[in-house]
Amino acid sequence: MIPLRRNIVVIFAISFLISLILIIADRNILSSSKDTETCLSCHEDKDLTMEKNGKKISLFVSPEHYKSSVHAGAECVDCHLNYNPDEIPHSKKNELAGCNSCHDNLKGIEKSVHNKVNCYECHSKHDVKPVRLIRENQTQSCLNCHKNKNIRKFSTSIHAKKNVGCDDCHKGGHQTAKISKNEVNEVCGKCHNKNKMAFKNSIHHTVMQGGNKNAPVCTDCHGSHDILTSKVSIESEGCLNCHLNEKLFPGEEKGSAKFVAQYKTSIHGLLRKGDSEAAGCVDCHGDHMVQTPDNPASATAKARLLETCGKCHKETVEKFKKSKHGTEYLKNSDKAPSCVTCHGEHDIKSTLLSDEFSKVNIVEKCLKCHEDGKIPHKNYQGEEELISGYRNSVHYEALKKGNLDAPTCSECHGAHEMENADNPESKISKKNVAQTCGQSNCHQDQKRDYLESVHQKGISEDNKDAPTCNSCHGNHSIVTKKSDDKLAKSKNLIKLCSNCHSSVELVERNDLPTKVSETYNESFHGLATRGGYAEVANCESCHGNHSIKPSSDTSSTINKKNLPKTCGKCHEGAAEVLFTSKIHVSDTQKDSPWVFVVTRLYMILIFGIIGFMVLHNVLDWKKKKKIKKVNED
Amino acid sequence: MKTEDKYLRMSANERVQHFLLLSSFIVLVITGFALKFPESFWVKGIAAVIGQNTFEARGIVHRIASVVLVMVSLYHVYYLFFTVRGKQLFKDFLPNRQDVTDFMNSMKYLIGKSDTKPLFGRFSYIEKMEYWAVVWGTFIMGITGVILWFENFFLKYVTNTGMDISSAIHYYEAILASLAIVVWHFYFIFLNPDVYPMNKAWLKGYLTREQMEHEHPLELETSEKQNTDNIKENLSEKAKDETETKNIAVSETDPDINKQ
Repeated sequence: MIPLRRNIVVIFAISFLISLILIIADRNILSSSKDTETCLSCHEDKDLTMEKNGKKISLFVSPEHYKSSVHAGAECVDCHLNYNPDEIPHSKKNELAGCNSCHDNLKGIEKSVHNKVNCYECHSKHDVKPVRLIRENQTQSCLNCHKNKNIRKFSTSIHAKKNVGCDDCHKGGHQTAKISKNEVNEVCGKCHNKNKMAFKNSIHHTVMQGGNKNAPVCTDCHGSHDILTSKVSIESEGCLNCHLNEKLFPGEEKGSAKFVAQYKTSIHGLLRKGDSEAAGCVDCHGDHMVQTPDNPASATAKARLLETCGKCHKETVEKFKKSKHGTEYLKNSDKAPSCVTCHGEHDIKSTLLSDEFSKVNIVEKCLKCHEDGKIPHKNYQGEEELISGYRNSVHYEALKKGNLDAPTCSECHGAHEMENADNPESKISKKNVAQTCGQSNCHQDQKRDYLESVHQKGISEDNKDAPTCNSCHGNHSIVTKKSDDKLAKSKNLIKLCSNCHSSVELVERNDLPTKVSETYNESFHGLATRGGYAEVANCESCHGNHSIKPSSDTSSTINKKNLPKTCGKCHEGAAEVLFTSKIHVSDTQKDSPWVFVVTRLYMILIFGIIGFMVLHNVLDWKKKKKIKKVNED
Repeated sequence: MKTEDKYLRMSANERVQHFLLLSSFIVLVITGFALKFPESFWVKGIAAVIGQNTFEARGIVHRIASVVLVMVSLYHVYYLFFTVRGKQLFKDFLPNRQDVTDFMNSMKYLIGKSDTKPLFGRFSYIEKMEYWAVVWGTFIMGITGVILWFENFFLKYVTNTGMDISSAIHYYEAILASLAIVVWHFYFIFLNPDVYPMNKAWLKGYLTREQMEHEHPLELETSEKQNTDNIKENLSEKAKDETETKNIAVSETDPDINKQ
């Protein structure tokens, strides 16, 4: 019995083994070769097509792709449900297997914008790729569907160039989502954190927080998919899109659309630098952290203007900083001007081409602050025309008559580099005045003469008493010789020279000739002038004007050698005269002993004779009175 | 007798000379000092009347007056040497020893050291001083004035020093002359108690007997010693003066003289 039992066991074992082999063979070889192979036997034909709704559809399935896809292990029927191979088409109802029957753990897909999109739109149909590969080509696969013009520009965007894909912003995968306005800042901020933080400090962010739906976020300025590098993409157009809209920014105040519109005609807006404006909105206002000027952090706040304008106008700002205006500005003085005080804000105009900076208009610009008394001035006493006197000057008169060579404020004071006269660097410091007045096209001849003069010698020796141009000609209310009243002119001139030359202190300090105006006034020349005669010599007639020199200088008009010529201008006979004594005889005894002797002699005669006469007559009168009285008695 | 009270002092010719002298002198003083003191009130007053050309007018008038003075002076020289009366005048004006004595005695009398008043002839030392002062002054002022006037011509001869000296002399001499006239001459003509308020001889030409007794007793004495024709002549001349003032030669041959 044992052998039988043993045989039975063996037989069972063999039959189990055989059936096991059969089962496996059936499953792996027999069935497979029967299903997928069967399908492919037809569908590997590239020309296999069918017509549906009048369209020809390819029914080709590449066996290689299928076999290399992640679904290589799945049968066609696993996905293509309810098909009957004997019918053509195989299924009346084109029904696919729900992918989620296998892939039932697709997190977040129900929230995604792609919830209703067929899986194969992304994953493709037969050559389903591993997720790793899909991720690599995510952007391309997105663009396969998203053919919107705007989105297609993505491929030329800076993001595309830098390998930033759709998924970097839109999450991608099954969570792909739209980005709401509120989220934009955060999404961009994932990479652009610094800018995100800056934006959060901007006025744009502030108004957005306040519920303003028009407030811009990143994409309003930079664009979304078609984003370029900031240098190219951020043109003022972006800002002006909103800021020129009068509905958004009504009125005419600062900040209004009208106010901003002035930019269009400004030199910043008109001049081009490459493709963009010479200076765009962001160049002054900053970019992400744009603020209103009343915010001290704003690039357009008064305190930061030099920094802002100096980004482009570096040299000018450096000059300005050293100027009186600049130093006051840096002290945060309320009265100190900044760039915009003179140049304006959005309406900034060319100083060379615009009427606003014409020479005549500059005067008004400066006087707006510098009208006498408005700003403390050391020389201003209260009544006289000190600075506004410019309006009475020959300079202004010439300007108004259309002489464009005539100087306005800036010609003498400089524009940005203007300084107090006290500052040796200043164009109007005593040492520099002659250079300033004698600058090219101006009073060059006078300057040349003056530079040879004894007055200039004093200036170059730092002598504070020495006069320069404005000491005689005045400052703002400068006048010329062209006055009609020759006598008044002469008298004024004498008074002018006497201001210094008869000041005892000044004459002593500088060892100048003494009593010059006194002796002049007593001379025939002086007497005639005092008496109202216009055709007589005054200081200038003999001494000259700009090139005034001491008599010791051989080129001086009053050098002994030149006196015959100088005096000969009026006195023909003087040409051959030997000048035997000084003209301004201040010390008669020393300078003109003969006159001294004559004078002394006459003093004796006058006092002696007249004294005697008085005495004689008094006695005579007394005597005669006495006799008369006696006789009458 | 009334007619006997009139003694000829200045002939019509002399009075005209005197008048031209005094008028040009006054004009010269005014226009001269107007140059030197242009800011004084009286110059300003004149300027206010004349206007802006005052200074030029002043110069022109000064020169005109100077010409008048010089012409009168030249005529006077002619008068002194070429007319009968002029020759006598010059003789009488010449200073002599007697004048020194008179002056000494006069001073003694004036200060009370002597009770006798010296007796004077036609011209006392006072008048001689006056006369020669005018001669001197005219001469000095004339020379320096011409130099200053024609400065272009004279500059090369006198140099600027010479101009300065001329100018100084002209100025101081002007002061001296003006003061002398005012103090000396005006006293004896106006303030002098004997003639106060004015000795009218420069207008009328004659002195009264009383004046003659006071001022020129010696002349009176001599003239009284002379024949009455002289007196008559004087009187007739006086009478002629009232009708015709210019021609002395005519009056000298006036037939009325013979009648009287």
